Amino acid sequence: MTSWSRSLTLLFSLVLAAALSGCNVARLTINTPLTSDSVAFITEGRTTLADVIATLGAPDSMTDAEAGTLVTYRFLDAKYSRVNFGWLLKPWSPVDPDLVFSRSGLGTDAFELLCDNNWIVTHQAFVRHRPAPPFTPYPF
Amino acid sequence: MRRVSMLLVMMMLTLNACAFSRGTLGDEIKTETVNLIKKGVTTRAEVLALLGAPDRLLQLNGRDLFQYYRYDAKVGSLLLIVANFSRVSIKSDDLFVVIAREGTVEEVIASKRTEGLEFRFWPFGD
Repeated sequence: MTSWSRSLTLLFSLVLAAALSGCNVARLTINTPLTSDSVAFITEGRTTLADVIATLGAPDSMTDAEAGTLVTYRFLDAKYSRVNFGWLLKPWSPVDPDLVFSRSGLGTDAFELLCDNNWIVTHQAFVRHRPAPPFTPYPF
Repeated sequence: MRRVSMLLVMMMLTLNACAFSRGTLGDEIKTETVNLIKKGVTTRAEVLALLGAPDRLLQLNGRDLFQYYRYDAKVGSLLLIVANFSRVSIKSDDLFVVIAREGTVEEVIASKRTEGLEFRFWPFGD
């Protein structure tokens, strides 16, 4: 490798490192996120609450409803990413410049079951079920 | 071997800090205690003596529902010079005890989701 290509590689590495500085990726997971596949075993009118608990564990809440008991599983998978492009100018700027792009999504997902008085599941549905969000700092 | 050494050196040069944090909410719900509650036998007073007052008390079609919960949160962070990665994992243990109108336990619903909770810092993947 010539000194010229070595210098170019070093410069590229420095620019890349500077560009990546101020880069943050974070994730918040509450309980195990449920999917359509993980609740596919539930058959309305046949599956009991005991069967559901044996597979998914205890729910997060149980409330009284007119048609029986409402059982709710709550979960969250939030992603956050942030890039500070101002770091690119740091070596040449007398001030500490910031140009931050960041994006996050927050909102609890829930899976609800309606059980009759014999603890048999009569209805099931996801509440506000969103597809898994990607890590994208671009906010526009 | 040389590549591994280079990788280790790079890691040592770029690794700024690591952080591990943990937070809990509520008392631990012991499995042995839950196993002492027998359907149709254990009374409301015995449940209260075993577990204390519930965190939530609800009415369920004329029956009392005692809810006990505990939350466990683990946070892992890998702070590099070029980028920071962190992950927060929260799980809960919940116990529901349904008390029938005659005052004995009708149903016990419990699970320990916090047992498999690990410290994770890598935000990608599952």
